Amino acid sequence: MSWKISSLKKSIWVFHVNTGACNNCDIEIVNLLTPRYDVERFGIKLVGSPRHADALLVTGVGTAQAAPRLQEVYRQTPKPCVVFAIGACACGTGIFNGAYHVVGPVDKIIREVDPNAIIAYVPGCPPKPEAMISGVVKMLSVL
Amino acid sequence: MNQEELNNKLSQIRDKLIGAEHKSDSRIYLLCEAENSYAVNKFLFEDVPLRFLIATGIDSEDCFEVLYHFSNDETGCVVTVKAFIRDRENPAIESITPFLPGAEWIEREIHDILGIEIKNHPNMRRLILADNWPEGVYPLRKEVKK
Repeated sequence: MSWKISSLKKSIWVFHVNTGACNNCDIEIVNLLTPRYDVERFGIKLVGSPRHADALLVTGVGTAQAAPRLQEVYRQTPKPCVVFAIGACACGTGIFNGAYHVVGPVDKIIREVDPNAIIAYVPGCPPKPEAMISGVVKMLSVL
Repeated sequence: MNQEELNNKLSQIRDKLIGAEHKSDSRIYLLCEAENSYAVNKFLFEDVPLRFLIATGIDSEDCFEVLYHFSNDETGCVVTVKAFIRDRENPAIESITPFLPGAEWIEREIHDILGIEIKNHPNMRRLILADNWPEGVYPLRKEVKK
């Protein structure tokens, strides 16, 4: 394992990007940080800038307006980084499949910038906080 | 204002309407042509008075409809003004934003996605479509290909 990957896995700082979500997934992400789940005890911390982040938590379907912004955020995130597609919309556009404003799903938008991006999928509408923690654990175990 | 007073008030604008449907005591539809919608809405908002909830735009193939929903909070009755826009080529309706600022954004949204011109709107800029969306394409019109 390269030293970059091993240092990435120690304490993941995450940046949250909403690309047109209905806010339900975002509420569940906030739920992760509350004392009930308290992911900060694992070193997972929400940060205010993608330049400080090791991982992007992307919610939402990937709208035409949000896609270039998401790509810019991904470019600014130091590599290596991990992208978590949170929720049914981000994983595969969900009920918005084929709608006029959709260019997603999120993995397609990210791979336009970086074909080798590391992307994890946490499906659900919205995914439970336990599912997100499980997704992070699975991602870390395969890195 | 109880139901009886509301019905009495609504009967005062009967000449502006082309019909009224009392689905139940909590749901009333007032049907009118687009030219009269401004007067009807102004009457409901200022003279009855009712609280404005939201507006809805519909493409019903032979015409456009704009539905203005008002609530009588005391009884929970929702009064909907259904305005028909018969001209499909240049659909237009009078803005209610001058006396009802809460309707500004929903009117901009109706203009964005259905292409209904909102006359005398104070701030008609694009609201919800993407910046690179082409002008003159209205995504929720029936003729737009999926």
